[in-house]
Amino acid sequence: MSRKMYTILSIMLIGAFALAACGPAAPKTVTINWWHISTADPGLSFWAGLAKQYMTDHPNVTINITVLENEAFKTKLTTVMQSGNPPDIFQSWGGGDMNAQVQAGMLQDITPALDANSGAWRQTFGAGALSVYAYQGKNYGVPWDMGMVGWWYNKDLFAKAGITDTPTTWSDFLNDVKKLEAAGITPIALGEGDKWPGMHIWMYLATRIGGEAAFDAAYSQKGSFTDPAFIQAFQKLQDLIALQPFQPGYLSATHDDMEGYFGNGKAAMELTGQWGPSVETADSADKKGVANLGFFNFPSVEGGVGKNTDVCGGGNGFAIGKNAPPEAIDFVKFLTNATNEAQMAKLGMGIPPVAGAESGLTDPNMLAVKQNVANATYFQLYYDQYLPPAMGSALNDSVQTIFAATATPQQAAQAIEDSAKQNLK
Amino acid sequence: MEVAQARSDAPASPQPTRSPRRTQDYLTIALFLAPAFILFLIFLVYPIFSSLYFSLFNWNGLGPAVDFVSLDNFKQILTDQVFMKAVGDCLLIVVLSLIIQLPLALALAIMVGRDLPGRAFFRAVFFMPYVLSEVITAIIWMGLFSADPSRGLINALLILIPGVQPQGFLSNIHQVLLCVFVVLSWKYFGLHMLLYMAGLQNIPKEVEEAALIDGANRWQLTTNVTIPLLGSTIRTTIYLSVLGSLTQFTLVWIMTKGGPVNASEFMATYMYRFGFVRFMLGYGSAVALVMLLICLAFSVAYLRLARQPDYLGGM
Amino acid sequence: MAANPLHRREILKKHAPRFFQYLVLFFVTLVIIVPILVLAFDSLKTNGEMFLHPYTPPSNPQWDNYVQILTKSSFWVLMRNSLIVMASSTAGVLIVCSLAAFVFARMPFRGKDLAFNLLTLGLMFPITVAIMPVYLAIRQMHLTDTLLAVILIQIAFGMSGNILILRGFFLAVPGELQDAASIDGCSAFGFFWRVLLPLVRPALAAVGALTMIISWNDLLTPLVILDSENLWTLPLGTMQFQGQYSSNLALVAAFVALSSVPAIIFYLFAERQIVAGLTAGALKG
Repeated sequence: MSRKMYTILSIMLIGAFALAACGPAAPKTVTINWWHISTADPGLSFWAGLAKQYMTDHPNVTINITVLENEAFKTKLTTVMQSGNPPDIFQSWGGGDMNAQVQAGMLQDITPALDANSGAWRQTFGAGALSVYAYQGKNYGVPWDMGMVGWWYNKDLFAKAGITDTPTTWSDFLNDVKKLEAAGITPIALGEGDKWPGMHIWMYLATRIGGEAAFDAAYSQKGSFTDPAFIQAFQKLQDLIALQPFQPGYLSATHDDMEGYFGNGKAAMELTGQWGPSVETADSADKKGVANLGFFNFPSVEGGVGKNTDVCGGGNGFAIGKNAPPEAIDFVKFLTNATNEAQMAKLGMGIPPVAGAESGLTDPNMLAVKQNVANATYFQLYYDQYLPPAMGSALNDSVQTIFAATATPQQAAQAIEDSAKQNLK
Repeated sequence: MEVAQARSDAPASPQPTRSPRRTQDYLTIALFLAPAFILFLIFLVYPIFSSLYFSLFNWNGLGPAVDFVSLDNFKQILTDQVFMKAVGDCLLIVVLSLIIQLPLALALAIMVGRDLPGRAFFRAVFFMPYVLSEVITAIIWMGLFSADPSRGLINALLILIPGVQPQGFLSNIHQVLLCVFVVLSWKYFGLHMLLYMAGLQNIPKEVEEAALIDGANRWQLTTNVTIPLLGSTIRTTIYLSVLGSLTQFTLVWIMTKGGPVNASEFMATYMYRFGFVRFMLGYGSAVALVMLLICLAFSVAYLRLARQPDYLGGM
Repeated sequence: MAANPLHRREILKKHAPRFFQYLVLFFVTLVIIVPILVLAFDSLKTNGEMFLHPYTPPSNPQWDNYVQILTKSSFWVLMRNSLIVMASSTAGVLIVCSLAAFVFARMPFRGKDLAFNLLTLGLMFPITVAIMPVYLAIRQMHLTDTLLAVILIQIAFGMSGNILILRGFFLAVPGELQDAASIDGCSAFGFFWRVLLPLVRPALAAVGALTMIISWNDLLTPLVILDSENLWTLPLGTMQFQGQYSSNLALVAAFVALSSVPAIIFYLFAERQIVAGLTAGALKG
């Protein structure tokens, strides 16, 4: 063709492209896959409602919710991760599980989104809570509920046994257990069949005796899980077990058995997390649960270096899948804004880790929990969640051997240390 | 079988080495077996080789397997006391099933197979447990076995006997395995009963009538005629029962998760815990292969031993 | 009269075994039925009542538990999916396994024993163990989130046991029948279809019943393969009520009771097939 023709053609082509680029861009429809585990209300309806609201406000976004029961969720997530296609938003407890997912490249680094606008989003979260979903300084998820484990107790049963004050030291605690037994009341409901409820007792004893330092040393492998703090924690646990304070059949009882037992007023105390009040109510016969429910922190251990303001706990959060579109992050921002978190608190779904959501917390017990978490000098995610999954499970198994009296404190600690050597390289 | 060249004076015509009939036979065999073998290759052979591959790694299931440990996983399995316990528990269940569950199923099948009034009702009832899902079976029995007499029916009945204390059952490390066996029997004996019932079909009534005419009483009839004629069915149920016991998982997992403290550990619960709870999928794959080898060993030995001619053409 | 005590003893001897039989049967029935009754009772209680009084009849039958479930359209979707999967799996198993079992029982060829031993591998490598690689295989075939994948997996893992069972029953059919048929010019397939299968109806019904029930109760395969909620089967739906297998157990019990009804109906139907021949007598001549 002649040179003139070429020039005209090129101009026409460029013009066409320019026109196309400048034309009104139709918003592309975006689909977000969200997996959560709230199979019952209030969570089920609450999440569905929020998704609907978001979709109304953003017509180009479709949110597909998959609701799975806890165990099924873990199974299905494993297989789906294997195929390299994780959901965009999914339930996460942070810690070692999440870290493994990060190492395999399954999650998206959302630190930029958190730090945008001089850290606007980041600052809405309590630092301790947010750190649960961070790995090597980068965040791959955010919490929507972060609480702590503590002793929930039945005030009426305590009064019946003549206990006027909640115990602040371990010896006080053991004395109270004896008083309850003398009054014919089962002191503690425990679901050791699921292994982690009993592990919480040992975890707190270790935290009170050895403090942050002991765990840090063991975790970094500069020290060991056979260090004195951990062995002493087992010994103190044995002291408690020797008093036979648990309900019959506790060794095979599930967590829900435990909550139901407590909710029906048959045991005076249970060591459980911020979900305690709602679950013991749901699992109780009359759906009302304990009439006068109280909460006290795990007592200090005489001679221990841990502080009473050290907190062990955990919560729930959203992990962001590696293929998630930006709209997914925006949706999560919406889910965790102060208004929705306050509503969540009101519904009793958990403790909001977000500033400004306290208005939803009317229950004094829950407020106390939130204060403790916010003011924690040392916040430790439950051991079995914090550690790599292989080790967390081995640790739970070890603690159970103390309850079943099939191992000595030294042996149980050594089993944990063996697992640490393998997994904490 | 094709007839060989029987006569030396037969014309030595250039015949094809296979008659058309033979080819048709091979074709039939191939066609008949094709669907089974295709499914077999995709869903059994491939997963087994896949597991073989992963068993040589230390792998958490996320991303590709990179930490090659060759046979370390297998070494660890064979030196792990807990795994040995699991094997022992499986074997105990195998033996208990063979001496309790199967004879019971047989006795019941014979009883309701005859002309007993109301047999249809009994047949329906006895098969019910098999119909229920394993999940709900586990949940029902966890409730029945509750250590608290106000919640567990069995303990409630037990303490009516003077001097008897409520038992821990599932929380008692010495009792839990037997409790699991009770539930397994309750659930699965209906399967064996069903097979025996179908097997009783094949026994011609004339044979039984002849024996009775010859003066045999019911007991002799049963032991000397019926049971031998059920030989192949019995061998089948033994085979299924042993392999089923060795690979048992769901019921045990939901009821006890292999605990407390490994007191009711089975090979499959051990595998599941390491594979899906601890996310040591390489190790879990190795356990699966060890399980497979154990089952294979039994299978080969059994098929060799059980190779006897049956009166009606047996296994 | 002298005959009387003797007569009485004779009657006792005649009826004692029958009486003893009934005693055993009654006891076994009790052991079987009580747990199921407990389930039925539980399904009519509130969750809390279940925790306090797990095995007594319900004080205030919560028929609403059942109504709640039956009026949820999702229940019927689950039911439909379960029916599709179950019917297809059972048909598939019967076809694939009877074809294969026929070959192993009746047609000699080299390597038959080896092939048969290979096929029994399925009994030693159950789906719980194989689920991860099986999922990967399904994914490679682009069949994730389809009912077809669930059906194929159920057939594949049901093969080993059922081929074994059917082979045992096929072997019981006299060889002369087959020889006679081939002399009459009947092909192997013709013999299979027109003579053998009708003769082993009880065995087919037994295999059918067992497969139907296993398919109906299968949780793991649909859980891993299916994503879309409108494809879920009943066990997955039950799971929604279960939480950690414990919360709202009363509703779970009701759900399970309802989902067991079809399985029981199938069994009762199949059972009639199985024992139909008992009174008629089996093979003649």
